[in-house]
Amino acid sequence: MRAIISLFLISVLAWGIATALNEIPFGAAKTKVGEYYIGRGKEQTGASNIVTSVVVNYRGFDTLGEVTVLFVAAIGLGAVLATRRKKEKRDVEPASLVLYTGCRLLFPLILLFGAYIFIHGHLTPGGGFQGGAVVASAFVLVYLGCRGRRISETASKTVESLGGLVFIVVGLVGLAVGGGYFLSNYLPKGELNSLFSAGIIPIIYIAIGFKVGSELAGVIDHLVEESE
Amino acid sequence: MVNPVLLIAVPLGLAFALPLFGLISKRIVKYIPVVAFIFNFALALRLIPDVLKQAIVVEIGGFPPPFGINLVAGPVGVLFSALIALAGLLVAVYALAYITEGPKEKYHMLYLLLLAGATGVVLTGDIFNLFVFFEILCISSYALVAYIGDRAGIESAIKYLIQGAVGSSFLLIGIGLLYGLFGTLNMADLAQQIESASSISVFVPMVLIITGLGVEAAIFPLNAWLPDAHSSAPSSISAILSGIAIEVGLYAVVRVLFTIFGATNMFMFFAFLGVLTLLIGEMCAFAQNNIKRMLAYSSIGQMGLIVFAMAIATSYALTGGLFQLVSHTLGKGLLFLTAGYMIYRSGSMEISAFEGMGKRMPLTSLAFTIGAFSLVGLPPFVGFPSKFLIVRAALAKEEILFTVLIGLVLLGTVIEGAYFFRVVQVLYFKKANGNSERKDAPVAGLIPMVVFVAFILVMGIYPQLVIEVLNSAASELLHRMEYIRSVLG
Amino acid sequence: MGISNAFDFLQNHVYYIGSFGLIFIGLFIMLVKHNLIKVIIGLSILETGVNLFLVSVGYISKGTAPIFSKSAMEAAPMVDPVPQALVLTAIVIGVAVLALALSLAIRLYHHYGVLDLRRIKELRW
Repeated sequence: MRAIISLFLISVLAWGIATALNEIPFGAAKTKVGEYYIGRGKEQTGASNIVTSVVVNYRGFDTLGEVTVLFVAAIGLGAVLATRRKKEKRDVEPASLVLYTGCRLLFPLILLFGAYIFIHGHLTPGGGFQGGAVVASAFVLVYLGCRGRRISETASKTVESLGGLVFIVVGLVGLAVGGGYFLSNYLPKGELNSLFSAGIIPIIYIAIGFKVGSELAGVIDHLVEESE
Repeated sequence: MVNPVLLIAVPLGLAFALPLFGLISKRIVKYIPVVAFIFNFALALRLIPDVLKQAIVVEIGGFPPPFGINLVAGPVGVLFSALIALAGLLVAVYALAYITEGPKEKYHMLYLLLLAGATGVVLTGDIFNLFVFFEILCISSYALVAYIGDRAGIESAIKYLIQGAVGSSFLLIGIGLLYGLFGTLNMADLAQQIESASSISVFVPMVLIITGLGVEAAIFPLNAWLPDAHSSAPSSISAILSGIAIEVGLYAVVRVLFTIFGATNMFMFFAFLGVLTLLIGEMCAFAQNNIKRMLAYSSIGQMGLIVFAMAIATSYALTGGLFQLVSHTLGKGLLFLTAGYMIYRSGSMEISAFEGMGKRMPLTSLAFTIGAFSLVGLPPFVGFPSKFLIVRAALAKEEILFTVLIGLVLLGTVIEGAYFFRVVQVLYFKKANGNSERKDAPVAGLIPMVVFVAFILVMGIYPQLVIEVLNSAASELLHRMEYIRSVLG
Repeated sequence: MGISNAFDFLQNHVYYIGSFGLIFIGLFIMLVKHNLIKVIIGLSILETGVNLFLVSVGYISKGTAPIFSKSAMEAAPMVDPVPQALVLTAIVIGVAVLALALSLAIRLYHHYGVLDLRRIKELRW
């Protein structure tokens, strides 16, 4: 019964959306905003990856919100699971030597790769969020491979806070020096396609990379602890 | 000139910095929200004279709209920011003494972020940015509903989360369709282009967006989560959820309907929906024995009244609707705060447990009574001029239909009066059995109550203090061409 | 004739069909399933569909990624960068909601010992 009603509702929705989609032909060039970014993005922001220039500069305020959403989720998860954290530490079976050594070997390499991705966010595909996710995956490896190891909560909290603060402060400095605009790109743009280019974009993406990495690692830490 | 972006950036920055303050001293953490909202309230008041002359459009990053994100600090935005900052400040003071258990540092962070998100929603001029800030608001309220961590809290948080997440997905589909159709996300730019294309293809994204936002705004039939969530959260959070979160959801609905779509042909439908929401909310509230569920259902009823007022869509009615919104924030905030300590004292949420509270907690009970009378709409409290404006606006329409609907609204008010008087009667005219020692709420709890009462009385006696702001806010909503011109030039 | 028309239709709409297929599958799961984890899986599928839809809105025929790494690539049309930026935001928000939902599910399981939503009925509606 419930399935039939659901199917009915969904087909009404599908019909409505299909009529709307009729007006949006697939693959047609249509958006003036997108063309503007592709045409002017290079000069205005100095980043060769236009998606990055949209994410960090043109729509940087969205990204500030996005960072905040992840922050909210990390804190919220901590708050929800907090009251159960005072459990006695159970002994976990230590991992075998091969696994342990392998994880310790891979850990810095994965961190390096993550850092590479967020440092080069303005040049190549990737950026702070992607790099941060790679960094967090290194911590997953440690949790799975070298059991019993934990990240320091104070350290991850501090990195999280500093990452967020750098974003806000870089934005607020723009109010003072960048023509009075929050998050304006006031640093020299540099030469296109070089590492030191694009003004504030790499700085913000590095801050985001650290922040996202430590937040996701914190989320994993909470969930791992809960499952033990 | 002060920049309205500070209204968002400063609370966000303080929330990010809060763990660092926590490393220095655990005790100063709870004062950070107070500081943040004193700053925000002062800034919003400082902005009001400027925006009454002309809306301030802030371009983020220095890119002109529609290419960059912009904030529109018009009368509506600044009115809501001031309201959020005021309620935020008072509830933050209340929480100084009220929140004593659990991960307190996380509570204060989530609280700051919730209200920073709400401020972002009311100020932004970009629909996707609105979605992002809306998510900050929603996600932090999911977590705060579960803050106590008992069965009811977790269960209602998960219900709230699932319904809210589906709503957000609908909102995002609607935004995607709009972007596909018009190639822009700026609300003024969208409004300008939608004028030329009113057809089924615009109707579908509109329905999706309204549905998505309507979950948070608690419009019937999307409000199943509300009574559980509002009654299981800590009382300080209930006050914010009822006083700010659903109002901000309603603001988003109104902004989308009036400014982006200019959907005048839909208003009749929303007038019916509003009255339906009102009657259902009030009747359910009447049937409750649990004080917080009663207040939560009463919030649904009040939202219905505001939706009805907005749907009349005359200048009077919008002023009345916005005024009702302000008076609901003040009244319901006060009621949840007082109820919080009465529950704490009696150890139960049942109304019958409050017998003799008039003697046991005289100041708290008096504040509760004032809040209840104000919501019902008795003079000299703020609820009276706001309800009066709505009734007058509906009668001024001189249509038989609106006269019938306003009759139903008054019926709703009668029901509202009945259940609030029942509680007041229990407070004052029932003998307490057992412990009747006189002990009021702590000072940090009483201060916000007294300030709320002061605002309710002052605005009730001198409504002209705020009427100018409300009038220009109403005209900002009614005249979408002016909005478009102020943003796009 | 009929078949080639149908093929054309499919070629032009396959991304829309796929993304809304995922959206409707996700919605259907959320509406009919009673296990909380399955509902959360449905939510995740729904969000994936929405993200896919956003990306396909921004596609431009024969477009490449909007990155100016080689000057030779500038001749080719580039896809719209805005939906890609939006999807990045939407994915992060989806992750945030999912993480919170899972933590709530863990707590709910500790309280009730089951994840069947029909048996978790402390509160009346």
